[in-house]
Amino acid sequence: MSDESPAPGPKTPDERPPATRVVDARGAWCPGPLMELIAAIQEESPGAHIEVLSSDQGSRQDIPMWVQKAGHELVRMDKENGFDRYVVRKTH
Amino acid sequence: MKRIVVLGGGIGGTTVANRIQRLLSREVEQGQVEISVVDKEGIHAYQPGYLMVVFDKMRPEETRQEESRLLHRSIRLVKEEVSKIDAAGKKLLLAGGRSLPYDILVIATGSVLHPELCPGFAEGAHSFYDLDNAVKLRDQLRQFSGGRIVVTVAGMPYKCPVAPLEVTFMLDDYLRSRGLRDKSEIHYTYPIPRVFGIETVAPVMQRLMTERGIQTHTPFNVQKVEAASRRLVGVEGESLDYDLLIGIPPHRGADVIAVSGLGDKGNWVPTDKFTLRAENQNDIYVLGDATNIAISKAGSTADYEAETVAQSVAAQARGLPPSARYEGRVYCWIMTGLAQATYIKFDYQHPPHPPTPSFAHYWNKMIYNRVYWDMTARAMF
Repeated sequence: MSDESPAPGPKTPDERPPATRVVDARGAWCPGPLMELIAAIQEESPGAHIEVLSSDQGSRQDIPMWVQKAGHELVRMDKENGFDRYVVRKTH
Repeated sequence: MKRIVVLGGGIGGTTVANRIQRLLSREVEQGQVEISVVDKEGIHAYQPGYLMVVFDKMRPEETRQEESRLLHRSIRLVKEEVSKIDAAGKKLLLAGGRSLPYDILVIATGSVLHPELCPGFAEGAHSFYDLDNAVKLRDQLRQFSGGRIVVTVAGMPYKCPVAPLEVTFMLDDYLRSRGLRDKSEIHYTYPIPRVFGIETVAPVMQRLMTERGIQTHTPFNVQKVEAASRRLVGVEGESLDYDLLIGIPPHRGADVIAVSGLGDKGNWVPTDKFTLRAENQNDIYVLGDATNIAISKAGSTADYEAETVAQSVAAQARGLPPSARYEGRVYCWIMTGLAQATYIKFDYQHPPHPPTPSFAHYWNKMIYNRVYWDMTARAMF
């Protein structure tokens, strides 16, 4: 783990790790947001934080499931006004 | 005179041109409206037939017809490549140097296969998304004597979302009919955490696969195909060895969309999902695979969308406000074996619930394969 990597665990919004990349997938339907996340992860380096904004409810199941299977880390998931914000750390 | 130009001679472009002609037949006869279809090849392909070719249910030549035979005689067919859509100047720039002005444009440029976007795909995977590869897969299956077959999807979105399911079920039946099923494994991978995108359909398909001994791997996103060692490598860290790999290649919208500055990063045209107008364009409609609408990229979608687009174009050509809306209707058969099928029918508000697979649904699909040319392409029903 690099020195820049944040400590794992719950954080308040103020403690949200700075995103390496923000993927705004609001308005895209399943599986759009998940596909956007996968594409972004493939392009970034280990340690990167990818923030995905999704208004699709299917993402609540699909994104955590995919992150777990792929061995990355779901740092946090916040419900915002009309969408969800996922922060995923690429671990490898 | 109003000039209506349809770009693309696939299912969407052909049926919408014929529908517009029917709605504006008087204006066309009187010379007040001219309808043109621009298509480089001038050959119309019935793409659902490719899967049928793989399993010897259609002959290759039955999947193609001259576009000129499908368009109403009053519609002009321009067999030229379009190098750019000049939306500000309301004209198409043709590769030969000419330009083709329009008052209303319908974009029906479909999707384009890009196997090169997946490393090793072209060398290691068989496909059935174009006629040549469907014939090659058919011939490969005829020689197959047992082993591990992997069916995979190498990128989303892709057209005909049910096709990976269909080829898997038909393959299972095909191997049984040849006495090879107990010498074979069938593995099915899909990029999301279930075997199909629509949540009401996925459990039904998963159950059929489990009953038939088809092994599923989800989510599985293809990183590369190692052709030499015959291994499919997933982004998630899982790999599958194969004897025969059947893959759906990555898709993108047409290059002319990107060149013209009308597309998103996948070359899909941002389109209003109800009016089917291109965003920020009053005189451009889009239908079929070319849109960015989060709905199945399927012939059926293009066919239903063509009804809406034709009504809107006809109204606009008459100087009336276009009011037709597309409600997201789609109807797709799903082959669940060599002689059985089910179907999904849905719209934006109503998800599909596929009925129990039966011979009757299969028979309907077989009939449709024959009547497609009149019923859909010529829009005679």
